[in-house]
Amino acid sequence: MSHLPQTVTLTIDGKAVAVPKGTTVYNAARQVGIEIPIFCYHDRMPPLGACRMCLVKVDKMPKLQTSCTLEAAEGMGVSTTTPDVRAGQEAILEFLLINHPLDCPICDKGGECPLQDQTYAYGPGRSRFIEAKRDFAKPVSLGRVLVLDRERCILCWRCVRFGELVAGDDALKGFERGFHTEINTPFTLPVESKFIGNTIAICPVGALTAKTYRFAARPWDNQTVPSVCTLCGVGCAVEFDVRGGAITRTRAREQPAINDIWLCDLGFFGHNYVHHSERLRTPLIRRDGGLVETTWDEALDVVARRLRAASPSRVAMLGGARLTNEDAYVAGRFFRSVVGTNHLDHRTDATPDGASLQAPWGMASSIAEVGDADTIVLAGCDITEEYPIIWLRMKRAVDRGAAIIAITPKALEIGRFIVHHLVHRYGSGAQVVSALMEAASGASPGAVETGGIPREAISAAGARLAHAARPQILIGRGALDAPDGAKIHAVLRDLATLLHASVNVMRGKGNAFGADLAGLLPHAGPGGRPLAEVRRDLESRWGATVVDGAGLNAPEIIDAAGQGRLDVLYVAAADPATDVPDRARWNEARARLPFLVVQDAFLTQTAQVADVVLPALVAPEKDGTVSNIEGRIQRLHAAVPGPGQSRADWEIFAALAARMGKIIAYSGWEEIFEEMRTLIPGFALDARVSRKGVGDRVSGGGTEPSRAARPLPPEPGPPSNVEFPLILIIGDVLFDRGAMTSRSPAIADLAGEPWALLHPDDASRFGIAEGDATVMRSRRGSVAVRAKLSSAVPPGQVFLPRGYDGAPANALVDLSEPVTRVQAAALAPVAGGSERRGEGGPR
Amino acid sequence: MAVTFRYLFRPPITILYPEAKRAAVQPRFKGRHWLTLYDDGMERCVGCELCVIVCPSQAIFVQAGENTPEHQVSKGERYAADFQINELRCIFCGFCEEACPTGAIVLGREYELASFTRDSMIYTKPMLTEPYPGSSGRDPKREV
Repeated sequence: MSHLPQTVTLTIDGKAVAVPKGTTVYNAARQVGIEIPIFCYHDRMPPLGACRMCLVKVDKMPKLQTSCTLEAAEGMGVSTTTPDVRAGQEAILEFLLINHPLDCPICDKGGECPLQDQTYAYGPGRSRFIEAKRDFAKPVSLGRVLVLDRERCILCWRCVRFGELVAGDDALKGFERGFHTEINTPFTLPVESKFIGNTIAICPVGALTAKTYRFAARPWDNQTVPSVCTLCGVGCAVEFDVRGGAITRTRAREQPAINDIWLCDLGFFGHNYVHHSERLRTPLIRRDGGLVETTWDEALDVVARRLRAASPSRVAMLGGARLTNEDAYVAGRFFRSVVGTNHLDHRTDATPDGASLQAPWGMASSIAEVGDADTIVLAGCDITEEYPIIWLRMKRAVDRGAAIIAITPKALEIGRFIVHHLVHRYGSGAQVVSALMEAASGASPGAVETGGIPREAISAAGARLAHAARPQILIGRGALDAPDGAKIHAVLRDLATLLHASVNVMRGKGNAFGADLAGLLPHAGPGGRPLAEVRRDLESRWGATVVDGAGLNAPEIIDAAGQGRLDVLYVAAADPATDVPDRARWNEARARLPFLVVQDAFLTQTAQVADVVLPALVAPEKDGTVSNIEGRIQRLHAAVPGPGQSRADWEIFAALAARMGKIIAYSGWEEIFEEMRTLIPGFALDARVSRKGVGDRVSGGGTEPSRAARPLPPEPGPPSNVEFPLILIIGDVLFDRGAMTSRSPAIADLAGEPWALLHPDDASRFGIAEGDATVMRSRRGSVAVRAKLSSAVPPGQVFLPRGYDGAPANALVDLSEPVTRVQAAALAPVAGGSERRGEGGPR
Repeated sequence: MAVTFRYLFRPPITILYPEAKRAAVQPRFKGRHWLTLYDDGMERCVGCELCVIVCPSQAIFVQAGENTPEHQVSKGERYAADFQINELRCIFCGFCEEACPTGAIVLGREYELASFTRDSMIYTKPMLTEPYPGSSGRDPKREV
């Protein structure tokens, strides 16, 4: 018996086509270059047959057939241009236009509208309909970014089906029937989705448009620049549409290996910070306690003088995740060969001695492989909040029967797609993962419950895992930075060995992988090669000595600064004040630091306390390459010029080198890229640099304990502390209000005010209601947030998102304690008006 | 020869411009642009940029904006927040007038557009908008 796919041969417009059995006539026609007009069919979703636009004539069938739903059969004779097909297409378009307002001149879709194009190509050219058209109030705002025009809608259901089939968030639904049908959000709430921008992109008319792009430009005004989104680690391929030196919108660029044709809303609407008026335009220098504008010459002279005066071992550099590969490489070269220090680290947000410092960041499998998995283990990784596009791959895997096993301290929003959702008490992740490992290897777990999860749930998940053929194991920041993170990582590695898989470390935003590759690590140079090995290569290439011996890693740099062991700290494209896990340590470090240089695009919280601030370009203004979380190298094209006197990061380092009497000369990013290619095996455009090339890294301090031998840390147990009764869980969210996101108005709106998630039982215990202004207080500090109630967090715990500059989660954390305990209290309403509520939060 | 002699004894068609001026241009003459208003003072232009794309000399720039109930400039959702015509580039072909879906942009009769600076030849929206409905010579009550 043959397992080859059967092919059928049919004739379309006289051309013979052989296609696999099951192919639709529409796709068969497309294969031979015959165009059939469509509206409802979208090749990323199954056929529907709602719009009737794709009519064709099939021999021996009495009526016209919809080619998008018709399966090709052997010997079928199809014609797409006969007079009756033409008449059918004209009739359908005439029907579609009966209620279409034809307000193309004021419609944002005008000029790139499939309905417009197909009416020109296939339409009747006139309408017999003279009655009044359907009249809806318009435009309707559906949330912060989406605008609906119901009159324009032709009810193709693409947006509804996108939410159902691709994103799984059911953000839009159809209501009423027939003539009255309209698209809306369920329960008429503002639309709840992280992918709503895609519905705008696939809408074949101007029914769904973006508020951020409303009337900003016509398609013919825009110049399209291909680039890469650097706002999370996935590195989706995007196109920036530029009009008059400003980005008007972001669109997805097809990249089958990464984002396919989709983007998340952070990518779609998160570019506005580029043109924000608070972008740094000139260098700033601290004089008489305040930062004042200065010239590049003076700023660079001051920095170079301080760097020359300091002993090289007392200089450190932090940051790099927002740099391009080339910027990061030149930064590494500058600090290693010109300054002479190995205290470089881009992992500013890692916890001291945590698993984040031990695990190599990035994915071992490709993003595409996630879509083919049959079992996915998600440990401490809130995939839709951290790497949303990878969720679309997982959704596809789930549709094909894959099971997701999620081990998180907080229920995920994709919960209904997770078969084995192991929501555990914070701090007991290692026990759960160990029990899962035991269950997967056949042993029955001993304890009746582990970390709040009953034995049966763990055994069921383990049984599923034992039969996994194509497993994917993902560990996220939530697990790595947990008090038992090292153990979780070690057990997952054992589990991966058992399943013949590898652990994907879902860690690092922006170009963190590229910063790794370029060598912004204390112990490894370009390509992740250990310093001792790569040192000779670097020296011969750079013509300067490179010091030996691993430098300090990021937490050690902060500690060293806090103990007065550093003279100069250079921060490039990072914001340690908000990134470091423990803000008090940063404050102490800053207080003891004699000189702090910050190179960034905004006056971040770190830049506000710097001695010199150098204005740098941001990703859409740069030429170069970036690496995404799976190690794929992609090209950035400068879409717009930078504001004021801001400069590319690598040029700043080159200028500093010149002032320090050394030459770092490159003609442009290409030359840097070529130099990196000679040092990093496999480094090429659009290629994936495998993590093997990067190598397993040794811990920065060189005191890595044997992980497998490390005993399980004791479970924190139920909270018994009376004064601080709640355990704090900190996690990433897609929409936040950081230095950049708060300056992209759409994202800042989507993020809303700082918030915290409480279990309803806890909330009622402390007298907190939904939406109350609440103060979360720990021994260390306090933040004012808006309370949200949800049973997604287990009782006794509270979830606080990272990334809000107004409520920095790291202000509460004391790293000397394994878990942070907090108390929550609603602010008393101020007499005399509810509008003043929440303004008096203690700072 | 007969034709030559016939014209030789006619008065010349040329006039001593600018001392002498012609009485009036032809009705279909295409001179400077006006952005016309409706009878009620609303702007006709909706900022659709069809004139921009049709203009063979790329003389027009339009930036659209959104009408709000407090700031209703034109009928409907969209209006021209900025409208500029570079009269130095314009070849007075009238395509913009032909393309305009609301009859907002019209070419008037005025042809004395010379100036001493290039900058002043870029007509901005206040310069282009007719001072009161109908002042450009077009009926403000017309459909398009």
